Amino acid sequence: MFDRFIRKKFIVVAVMASGWVALVLMAVNIVQSHENNGLEDIVPPIYEPSWMYKCLPEEGCIRSDEPHPTTNNVTNLTFNSLDICRTVCGRLGGLWPRPVTAVLSTRTVKIHPNYLRFDLEKVPVEAREIMAAMTQVVGSNLLAECDGEVTEVVETPVIVFISVKSADTSLHWETEEQYMLDLASKEGQITVYIMAETVYGARHALETFTQLVASEKSDYSNQKKCGLQIVAGARIRDRPVYRHRGLLLDSSRHFIPMTDIKRTIDGMAANKMNVFHWHVTDTHSFPLESSRVPQFTRYGAYSAKEIYSVEEVKDFIKYAQIRGVRVVIEIDAPAHAGNGWQWGKEYGYGDLAVCVNANAWRHLCIQPPCGQLNPANPAMYRVLRDLYRDIAEMVTKPALLHMGGDEVFFNCWNASEEITNYMRQKNYEISLNGFIDLWSEFHEKALQAWDEELEAAGGTKQPVMLWSSELTQVRRIQQHLSNERYVIEVWEPVDSPLLEQLIKMHYRVVSVPKDIWYLDHGLWGVTKYSNWRRMYAHMLPREENVLGGEVAMWTEYVDKEGIDTRIWPRAAAVAERLWSDPSASVYSAERRLQRQRGRLLARGLRPDAIAPGWCEQHDAKCL
Amino acid sequence: MKWGGEALVRGATAQFAGVGRLRRALVLLAAAACTAAALLYWRQQSGDRAHRPIHALYTEVEPQWSWVCRNYRCERLLASEMTTLQSLQTCNMLCDSTQLWPQPTGPVSLATAVVPVVIDGFSLKIVSSPSKEVSDLLSEAFEMMKDDINMQEEDDDIRQISYGSPRPVVVRVAINGSADPRMRLDTDESYKLFLRPVKKSLIVDITAQSFCGARHGFETLSQIVWRDPYAGTLLILEAATVVDSPHYSYRGLLLDTARNFFPTKAIIRTIDAMAACKMNTFHWHVSDSQSFPLRLDSAPQLAQHGAYGPDAVYTTQDVKTIVRHAKLRGIRVLLEVDAPAHVGRAWGWGPAEGLGHLAHCIEAEPWSAYCGEPPCGQLNPRNPHVYELLERIYREIIELTEVDDLFHLGGDEVSERCWVQHFNDTDPMDLWLEFTRGAIKSLERANRGKLPDISLLWSSRLTRSPYLERLDPNTIGVHVWGSSRWTESRAVLDSGFRAVLSHVDAWYLDCGFGSWRDSSDGHCGPYRSWQQMYEHRPWTEESAALVPGIGNAAAWHVMGGSACQWTEQLGPGGLDARVWPRSAAVAERLWSDRVEGATADVYLRLDTQRARLVRRGVHAAPLWPRWCEHNPNACL
Repeated sequence: MFDRFIRKKFIVVAVMASGWVALVLMAVNIVQSHENNGLEDIVPPIYEPSWMYKCLPEEGCIRSDEPHPTTNNVTNLTFNSLDICRTVCGRLGGLWPRPVTAVLSTRTVKIHPNYLRFDLEKVPVEAREIMAAMTQVVGSNLLAECDGEVTEVVETPVIVFISVKSADTSLHWETEEQYMLDLASKEGQITVYIMAETVYGARHALETFTQLVASEKSDYSNQKKCGLQIVAGARIRDRPVYRHRGLLLDSSRHFIPMTDIKRTIDGMAANKMNVFHWHVTDTHSFPLESSRVPQFTRYGAYSAKEIYSVEEVKDFIKYAQIRGVRVVIEIDAPAHAGNGWQWGKEYGYGDLAVCVNANAWRHLCIQPPCGQLNPANPAMYRVLRDLYRDIAEMVTKPALLHMGGDEVFFNCWNASEEITNYMRQKNYEISLNGFIDLWSEFHEKALQAWDEELEAAGGTKQPVMLWSSELTQVRRIQQHLSNERYVIEVWEPVDSPLLEQLIKMHYRVVSVPKDIWYLDHGLWGVTKYSNWRRMYAHMLPREENVLGGEVAMWTEYVDKEGIDTRIWPRAAAVAERLWSDPSASVYSAERRLQRQRGRLLARGLRPDAIAPGWCEQHDAKCL
Repeated sequence: MKWGGEALVRGATAQFAGVGRLRRALVLLAAAACTAAALLYWRQQSGDRAHRPIHALYTEVEPQWSWVCRNYRCERLLASEMTTLQSLQTCNMLCDSTQLWPQPTGPVSLATAVVPVVIDGFSLKIVSSPSKEVSDLLSEAFEMMKDDINMQEEDDDIRQISYGSPRPVVVRVAINGSADPRMRLDTDESYKLFLRPVKKSLIVDITAQSFCGARHGFETLSQIVWRDPYAGTLLILEAATVVDSPHYSYRGLLLDTARNFFPTKAIIRTIDAMAACKMNTFHWHVSDSQSFPLRLDSAPQLAQHGAYGPDAVYTTQDVKTIVRHAKLRGIRVLLEVDAPAHVGRAWGWGPAEGLGHLAHCIEAEPWSAYCGEPPCGQLNPRNPHVYELLERIYREIIELTEVDDLFHLGGDEVSERCWVQHFNDTDPMDLWLEFTRGAIKSLERANRGKLPDISLLWSSRLTRSPYLERLDPNTIGVHVWGSSRWTESRAVLDSGFRAVLSHVDAWYLDCGFGSWRDSSDGHCGPYRSWQQMYEHRPWTEESAALVPGIGNAAAWHVMGGSACQWTEQLGPGGLDARVWPRSAAVAERLWSDRVEGATADVYLRLDTQRARLVRRGVHAAPLWPRWCEHNPNACL
C-alpha cells in the first residue's frame, strides 16, 4: 500500500516537473528573443536523466531523445525500463541462448516472487527432490533482478505446472534436455506449463521462465523501489543442438576458491551450459583432497587453505547438478603432473613422478614447473588407482573422467635412467616411437585402473575423455586408443584438419579450438584475443560424433579476482553457439547478449563490458 | 648494507628446536600410518576400508611450506623438513633485493633484521611544517598509511613463531618547503627516510620539501612493514635509509568514465593503487560523446541530457570526495571535458533553451562519416554560448579540483567533414584553431584572468606542422598519444612544447581486445604486457634516432607520461585487473627510469607490489602462476 502511494506521488511530481520545464523554456525563449543574453537567465531544473526506451522490433530498444519521462506520449512499446523493453522486444525478447521457436507477447504483467508456486505433481516421485531444489534457484534468481528485494507487491498468483516423464536423474551425454513452455495470463492468474523428458529439460525451462521476467527499475538506477514484470504470454519449444556444452576451469595454476567456482556454475546455468570441465590438477599444484592419498594435497597444495576437501567437492557436484551441470574432473596425466607427486621416495615408493620442479625446465617441459608421472614405477599406478577410486566415489554416475593426456615431453622421460631401463626391458626403442609406446601403455593401464575402481565404486564402464596430442595423430590413434572408449577433446587451432579426420575415423570429439575458444589467449605471448563475436561466429560440424565444445579458462595469468571478466560474457556467446547453433548474424544477437550480461551482473557475476553504455541503450546504432 | 641477520636466525632456531622435534615425530607417525593404510589396501584390493584424512593431523595446524634465502632467491621447502620456519613474505623482504616499488632513485640501504610492531604502536611527530594545512593533512595521511599497513588479512595467521615483543615506531616528519600541500607543477616530491632503532623503540625520520614528498615517504615506510602470517604479527625492517626523488614530474593514469560509468568507490580504489605506486596525476576523462556523467552546478543540463541514468552521475560532492582523497594521496585530479570533438547528446539541449545549436552532428548517421566511433557530435565553434558554457565548466572544474596551474583541454579527433557540412565557407582547420583560441580564452576567464602554466591538448592534426607553429609553446603542452614510431613526439618536442607521453602502442591499457563493433582486431592491438610497458623508454629511443645536428634533444621537455584506460570494452568489474599491475610498471618507468628492462629483480619486486595491492583491496592481475610466486627462482 505504502509503495503504491509513493508511486502515484512520483508520477505527479514527474508530470509537474515536465510541465514546469515547458514553462521555463517558454520564458527563456521570450527572453532570448528580446535581450539575447541567454545563459545567465536560465535557472536550470535539477533532475537526473530518466530515459525512456522504445522498441523497434527490427532494431531493438532505442533510448528516447529527451532525458525525462514523456508521460503524455507513452505508447504500447515504450518503456521506463530498458530490461523490460528487451524482454518483450523482437521475436526472441531477452532470451539467451535462443530457443528453437518462441512466440512472446509484447504485453507484461506485474508479479511478485512470494506468489510463485510450483506444482510438481507430474514429476516422478524419485525426481521430486532435485526438481524442488531446481525451483528454489528460480526464486533467488528472480529476487536478484531486484537486487534482493522486490518492493512492489502484487498478489497475482503465478503457478508453474511441471511435468517430467522420466524418473532418471542422471546427467550424461544421452540426457534429454528438450522442453516446452507455455505461459498464459488470464483472470488475474498466470499459468505456466512446462513439459520435459527429464528434470534437466525442466530446469532449462525454468531458466527460460526467469528470462521472461525483468525489473521495472530504470537503467543505472540505485533506487530501492523495484517491481518485477513477466511477459504476459509465451509459447516456447526448445532443445539443444550439441549435448556437450562445456567450460574448462584450471584451478591448479591459481587456486580458485569454491565460492568463485560456484559463481561460475551460476553463470553456466544461466546459459544452459552443462559440463564443468574441472582441470583441478597440474604440475603447479594439487588442491584436490584424496582421502586415500592425503599426500597429494600435503605436498601439492599451495597452502592448507587452498584445498578442495572431499566434503566440499561432493557438495559442489550436487550444487552443479541442481543447475543442470555435470562436473567432469580431469586428472591430467602422464604429463602435467608434478607437485603433489613428489613424496614417493620419502615414503619408500620410489619416484612417482620425474623431473618434478627441475631447474633447467626449458629442456624438460613447456612451462615451469616440470613434472611427469613415472610409468616405470608400478607404485605410481597403485597411487593413481587410489586417486581414481576417490574420484569414482565422489562423482555422480554414470561417471565421466577426463584423463588428461596432453603435452608429454619425451626429454623428461629420457632423462630418467629408471625409465629408459624399463623401456629396454620392455623392448621399446629409445626413440620417438618407443616413447609413444610407453605413453600408450600408460593410458592403457590408467584406463584399466579407472574401469576397475569405477566398478568397485558401483559404477559401470564408461568412455573417458582425453586431450588430443601426438598420440591422437591420424597415423597413430587407431593403434593406441579405441574409439569405443575414448572421446577426444581436440584443442588444435581451427585450421587443423585433426577434428575432421577424427570424425571420419568415428571418434567422438569435443572441440576447443585454442585460437578461438581459449579464454586466456591474447594476454600473453603471441596469442590473440577473441572477442565474443569471433567466439560466437565459430561453428562446429553438425555430426553425430561431434558431442559439442568447450571454452577454456587457463589460469596462469588470472586468479579468482579476474576469472569473471575473462569468462563472461564470452562463454555465453559460445553457449548460444552450442545450444542453438544459430544461422542469424552476430549483430542480431548483441541486444540479447546485453540483456544476458545484465542478468549475470544481477546474479552477482562480474561480466566484462562489450561496448560503451551508449551502445547498450541504442540497439543497432553502433554497427 | 646488511646487518643483524645472524642474530635473528639464531634466535628463531633456538625457539623452534622443540617444535621441530615434535613435527618430525608427527611426520614419522603420519608416514607410518599412511604406508600401513596403503599396504593394507593393496593387499586386499576389494574390500571397503575405513579411512580418515591423515593430513588433517598436520595441514590444519601448521604451515605447509617454509622459505629460505639461497643464492639471493627464496626457495620453498616443506615446513616439516625444516627446523626453522620462515614465511614467504618475510623471506622476500630479507632476501637480497629491496621490495620497494617504485625503486628509489637515490641511495638505499635496508637492514636484514626485523622487529615486530603493532599498528597502534605507530605515532607521528611533526617536527616542522610550513603551514597548519600541511600539518593537518600529514596527520590524516599518516592515519591512511596505518590503514594501508593494517589492511592485511589476519585469518591466514598461524602464530607458530615469534619475533619477540612489538616495539613502538615514532615517525618524525620535517617539511621545510612549500606551504601549499597540493600536487603542483613545481612541487618538489623528493624525500629522505631514515629508520633506526633507538633504545626500545624505532625512530623514523622523514624529511621532505613538500607535503607530497613526505607522503611518498609514508608510502615507502609502509612498504618495509608487512604482516608475517607465521608469526601473526606485523614486522618492520630494523633500519633503513632511503633517499628518493622522481625522474619525471608527471606520472599519470587516465580513466575514461564516459564510455562506461565507474562508481566513485572504484575511482577511489584506483587512486589508492596509484598512490601505492607514487603516481601523481589522475587524468579523469570524464565526458565523451557517449555520456556526460559530471553534474556541474553551473551547467547541470549536461549531465541531465548526457548521463546514462539517474545514478550514473558524479555529483559535485562525489568529485570533492575524490579530490580530497587524492589530495591526501599526493595526487592531482586532472578533470578533462573533451572538446570540440567527443561531445554528444549532453550538448543537444541548446535549441530547446533558445541557445541555438551548441553542437552539430549529434548522433549523426552514418557515424563513420562524421566521427571515429559512434555516436558522433562536435561543438559549434561559431556559437558564442558554447564559449560561455566552457567558461562555466572550466571555472567549476578548477574550483572542484583546486588545480589551476595545469589544465587539459582535450582537443583530439576533430571531424573536418562534420564542420564542413555546416560551415562550408571556412577551412575546418581554421575553425579548429578558432575554437581552440576561444576555449583558451574561456579558460583564462575561468581562471581569474590568468592562464594556467600549461594547458594540455591531445596530439592531433592541430599539433602538427603547419598548425603547430600557430600555437604558443609557453602556454600549451601536448599530450602525445600517437604511435611511438611516429615522428610527432619529436616534432612537438623539437618545437619547444612540453609533452606528456601516452604512446598508443605502449601505454594504452585498452588495446588487444579486438574491435567492439565487429570481429576484427580493433585499431590498436595487440595487448601490451607489463614487461612491454615497463621497457618503453621513448626518450632514449627518440634521442638515439636523432640525426646529429638536427633536433635539439637537450632542450626537450618531457614532463612525463601516462597510462591510458579507455573503456569502450571495460566496466567496473574488470577495472582493477585491466589496469593493475601494468600501470605500476609504467609508474616505476616514470619515477625511477632505470636503465634495466624487466629483469628478474623487477619481477620479484613487482610481484611483491602486486601482493600489496591485492591486500589493499585492489584486484590486480597475477604476473604468473602462484607456483612461481612460491618459487620465484624457478620461473625466471
